[in-house]
Amino acid sequence: MGAISIKGLSVSYDRKTVLTNIYMDLAAGELYGVLGPNGAGKSTLFKAILGLIPVNTGQVLINGEPIDNQRKKMVYIPQKGEIDWQFPATVMDVVMMGRYPFKRILQRLNGQDKNIAMQALRDMGIDQLKDRQIGELSGGQQQRVFIARALCQQADIFLMDEPFVGVDIKTEQKIVEILKTLRKSGKTILVIHHDLSKVHDYFDKVILLNQWLVACGDTEEVFTEENINRAYRGQLNILHKTMLH
Amino acid sequence: MELFDLFNYALGIRALIASVLVGLMCGVLGCFIVLRNMSLVGDALAHAVLPGVVVGFIVGGAGVLAIFTGAVVAGLLTAICITWIQHNVKTKNDAAIGIVFTAMFSIGVMWISKVAREGAHLDLDHFLFGNVLGLSNSDLYLTAGITVYVLLSVVLFYRYLFATTFQPVIAETMGISVRAIHYYLMLLLSFAVVASMQAVGVILVVAMLITPASTALLLTNRLKYMLLISAIIGVLASVIGLMITDFYNTTPGPAMAVTATLFYLLAVFFAPQKGLLFKFLYKRKIRKRIQFEDTLKQTLKLHERSSLSLPNLKERLGFNLNTLKYNLNLLARKGLVRQSSGTLAITSEGIKQATRLVRAHRLWETYLVQEMSMDAGQIHEEAEIYEHVLTDELLDEIEANLSYPKLDPHGAPIPQNDYQPDKSLSSLSIDTVAEVAENQLNSYLVTRLWQLGIGHDESFKVMSKTEDFIEIKIDDELVKVPVTLADKINVET
Ligand SMILES: Nc1ncnc2c1ncn2[C@@H]1O[C@H](COP(=O)(O)OP(=O)(O)O)[C@@H](O)[C@H]1O
Ligand SMILES: [Mg+2]
Repeated sequence: MGAISIKGLSVSYDRKTVLTNIYMDLAAGELYGVLGPNGAGKSTLFKAILGLIPVNTGQVLINGEPIDNQRKKMVYIPQKGEIDWQFPATVMDVVMMGRYPFKRILQRLNGQDKNIAMQALRDMGIDQLKDRQIGELSGGQQQRVFIARALCQQADIFLMDEPFVGVDIKTEQKIVEILKTLRKSGKTILVIHHDLSKVHDYFDKVILLNQWLVACGDTEEVFTEENINRAYRGQLNILHKTMLH
Repeated sequence: MELFDLFNYALGIRALIASVLVGLMCGVLGCFIVLRNMSLVGDALAHAVLPGVVVGFIVGGAGVLAIFTGAVVAGLLTAICITWIQHNVKTKNDAAIGIVFTAMFSIGVMWISKVAREGAHLDLDHFLFGNVLGLSNSDLYLTAGITVYVLLSVVLFYRYLFATTFQPVIAETMGISVRAIHYYLMLLLSFAVVASMQAVGVILVVAMLITPASTALLLTNRLKYMLLISAIIGVLASVIGLMITDFYNTTPGPAMAVTATLFYLLAVFFAPQKGLLFKFLYKRKIRKRIQFEDTLKQTLKLHERSSLSLPNLKERLGFNLNTLKYNLNLLARKGLVRQSSGTLAITSEGIKQATRLVRAHRLWETYLVQEMSMDAGQIHEEAEIYEHVLTDELLDEIEANLSYPKLDPHGAPIPQNDYQPDKSLSSLSIDTVAEVAENQLNSYLVTRLWQLGIGHDESFKVMSKTEDFIEIKIDDELVKVPVTLADKINVET
């Protein structure tokens, strides 16, 4: 049984079906690229895995258990655009959120929680920025803050929605390096990604999605022109094709 | 104080205490209302409690608790109605709020007028604009109880409020019910509205909620400080408002709201960092520094062409004479140029600092072209600005990332740091076996080497050399090192 196992999942909003009969079994300790055109249901898949939306049919098991038992183990890193960067929150405030799931309702955060948060900040190399307001950071540092929150939660499944939107290529590569190191330490990481040209460099495994599951497996095997065409239903233009090689 | 002459002592004291409590409670609660973009909802709830007040009055015979209960129920009902319409009817979100609260408010006003005409002791004006000087003891106890309850809730549930306000989706993934927190906040808001009704009146409660909070948001970047500052401003605004009421014999609610607005205006202009004055001064400072540094740079350029003179400099910079003279005097005072009887010369320190600017400009241009794939034609303008803000440390990092380029995209030489390693990689001949030394120029160079797969203490062999690259074999892998980078790498044989 993999880290995430999905059986016959279907999701719809109102009457519109967004995901249909998805089966997949994702292995622990892998870095997955989640690919598909706009509106393919990638974000919806994440929300279903996180148990944020009701599903029509099917089930999602995390480490072989229902989602509610495994919430602590999962961490969601939203798209840059969904976060209010002007919010009066410091780096430390955000990273400390990783300790919330360990606390009972009126239990206070203590020194030990702070130590764990500090360690996560050090691991991401941003401990000196701990008192900065999050909007004062560069794009790469902002991503590190959210990864540090995940580390602080000691989660082992990371779901990242388009982490590379709005960061420069250099930062993007640095984040990929961080993710590869995290994978080596046993984390399962799912990354929604746009740019087809980088898939081979970044991901060992891919999930190709467009309402149905088009393919899921080793990049070398399933990231083929045929599968990509099926996922993008011929939307792929010459430019994309040339980028594949 | 007239307060004690005009009204009796107990009424004055009660008014003062109630105002402090209301300022405190609204200041704290308002922070969350503002940060959740719910100002309009706050206003709506405040207006919509009126029908509940009437029901409480009729059913409970004017008892404080009955009115309180009626108002809270009406407030919650409004919150539920608004959310229901927003989710189930195709009406714009803010329109839904407007429709519900104006309806509730109107029903309340009509009903109160009717009840009052029928002889009940119910004054519409007191609900609309407050009646802080007519508070009874039981009113005051209720206000105090509510304040304690609201503040305690904020303290105990602080992290839930923080998480759901900052990032509801993340909060949800952690098993926090965003909806439950939302309705709890609506409950607290209804409480606050009822408690403030006597002090400021339903029409102006929203001012006590959002104005101190918005003021605090201009003054700090941290939620905990924001809560504290907002509470203080809330208390000050209500106390000062009350004093103004007494002095000028006006209505308390509006006086408090106006005082809060004055605090807000002060912050708009004078807040450190986010204030308009600060922004203006900061921009001016940057503009002056750019002028100063441009003068220095052009002085160097003319010096290099042996055509340094005041008229030439004036033409290149396009400054008027006064600005130019001002900047030159500043440069002279810092020992960067020498001026004597009409002649102008740059000092060696001046050359050094001007060269740094040229280096920053050209490195940044190179970075934009090589790393950001920008077109060489469109980068000059940007580099003109960035040369003034790049720190030495950032320049070192950029330089290491670019493998120590010698020329910029236009082919002009990039001024180099005079660092030379004891023994450089490029000085080795083919087939030499060597190690990368532990001691390198800076940590950015070490990182760059690490990126190429070259760690220190690993021995390697020089395989081949061309004009551009040196190829080395390390751990059985071939690595191509640009010659410009190899010049800076310290090795040990
Ligand atoms: N909350 C929602 N209500 C109704 N439709 C939605 C909602 N969220 C997403 N959708 C629709 O579901 C489809 C899939 O959306 P999404 O999962 O965000 O796609 P992706 O992330 O792959 O771009 C889209 O057509 C979108 O319009
Ligand atoms: Mg999406």
